[in-house]
Amino acid sequence: MLPHRDPIGQSPHSFLREVEKRSGENLNLCYQCLKCTVGCPTAPYMDIRPNSLIRMIQMGRKKEVLESSAIWLCVSCETCGTRCPNQIDIGVLMDALREMAVDEGIHAKEKNIHLLHEAFIQSIRRGGRVHEATMLIDYKLRSKDFFTDLLPGIKLFMKGKIPLLPSLVKGRGEMKRIFERCTKAK
Amino acid sequence: MLYALSVCGVSMDYLYFPGCTLYTKAKNFDQTARECSLLLGFELKELPEWTCCGATFPLATDNLMALLPPSRILAKAREQGTTLTTLCAVCFNVIKRTNHLMQKDHEKREKINNYIEMNYQGDLRVLHYLEILKQEIGFSQIRERVKTPLSGLKAAAYYGCMLLRPFDEMGFDDKERPTLIEEFIEAMGAESVDFPYKIECCGSFQSVGSPEVATECAYKILSSALKNGAEVVVSTCPMCTFNIDHKQSDIKEKYLGFKTVPVLYVTQLLGIAMGLNPQCLGFEQNFVDPFPVLKEKGLV
Repeated sequence: MLPHRDPIGQSPHSFLREVEKRSGENLNLCYQCLKCTVGCPTAPYMDIRPNSLIRMIQMGRKKEVLESSAIWLCVSCETCGTRCPNQIDIGVLMDALREMAVDEGIHAKEKNIHLLHEAFIQSIRRGGRVHEATMLIDYKLRSKDFFTDLLPGIKLFMKGKIPLLPSLVKGRGEMKRIFERCTKAK
Repeated sequence: MLYALSVCGVSMDYLYFPGCTLYTKAKNFDQTARECSLLLGFELKELPEWTCCGATFPLATDNLMALLPPSRILAKAREQGTTLTTLCAVCFNVIKRTNHLMQKDHEKREKINNYIEMNYQGDLRVLHYLEILKQEIGFSQIRERVKTPLSGLKAAAYYGCMLLRPFDEMGFDDKERPTLIEEFIEAMGAESVDFPYKIECCGSFQSVGSPEVATECAYKILSSALKNGAEVVVSTCPMCTFNIDHKQSDIKEKYLGFKTVPVLYVTQLLGIAMGLNPQCLGFEQNFVDPFPVLKEKGLV
């Protein structure tokens, strides 16, 4: 059978090599035992299951892999990597694929997850510590999804679990500087 | 120094990194841990000027930025002492794994030290609060100091992911069949309930992005615990607690006939056993009220 050629990848091997370089994992070791998929808590909701994802990377199907919801539904619980008989750390692989998707400008199928990550990091950048009220407002503005979880949010607020004002930690200026230096270096 | 003192059995303090949620959603976890520590003869000394740990350990090999917040915490802590403890399982995971990386990867260590303008060599011990109780205090000591034994209470220990995985870096307990929290539960006089979902993931941050996924994960965990006779579920993670405690109203809506079960932090349970006033254990912040079952057992 001819290797599958993907419109945005040159050859199947170049994608496999790139993924292996970014993740540091040897994906040729996978013999499809399915332990990763069976133990994965979010696999039932993924469009491509973790074991299939590895096979597709081997076949060079870059576009389908980087556009999948699977890479964004992974929560890095590391059950897969713990159980893999060939010591492939699929959590690491997923993180590398997410980075590659972001670098390629591919919009996440699970776009809210990506937006949540961004709102979270901005919150630390602003205040040094996460302030949930402003972080969640930021997330809601980004996702334009204003009503999901509104009620639980109000309940948490009523129980005094979401303080109105952020705590002003002295280290926040230092954190901001560190972030800036690292962004520049990138 | 602290370690030497602990070996001699002298009372000591531990540097403590609370983490963002311990000041907000998990205030009851923080407060009960501080009070229980005093009763056990040590103090949690809060790290000054701490900032967020970043909440996820970056797995891709070239992501240095996410390693900077936890590295800065480690470097600051090293200026103050030799042992750092945390309560939140997520913070513990991030900080411990970063520490592991700082010990093993010289090239990254140098780069990181450059960015944070500090010089940290990875020579800090990072211990979870439960590890301090087990290794430094000893569960036998706790057994002796219990004022109100939790006899008759069936408690299920829920570990989740963060304490255990990846095993090589965390080294907390067995990766598939951990027993540390069960030993702790039994030291307090309660009966521990084993259940197959105790190391399953709670769905983590999917509770914001794809809530139905997290609800499903929580349902599987809780129904497994209930099936095995749990009267309370014990947790060490504010993220898990949010998913398995607060999501119970969603589960009830979806699965008619689902019986709710209180989810307590390990230190809340310890607080009852140590004879702290139940009104001071922050139960009003728990979503599912634990008072009915605790009253039934004559513990409050």
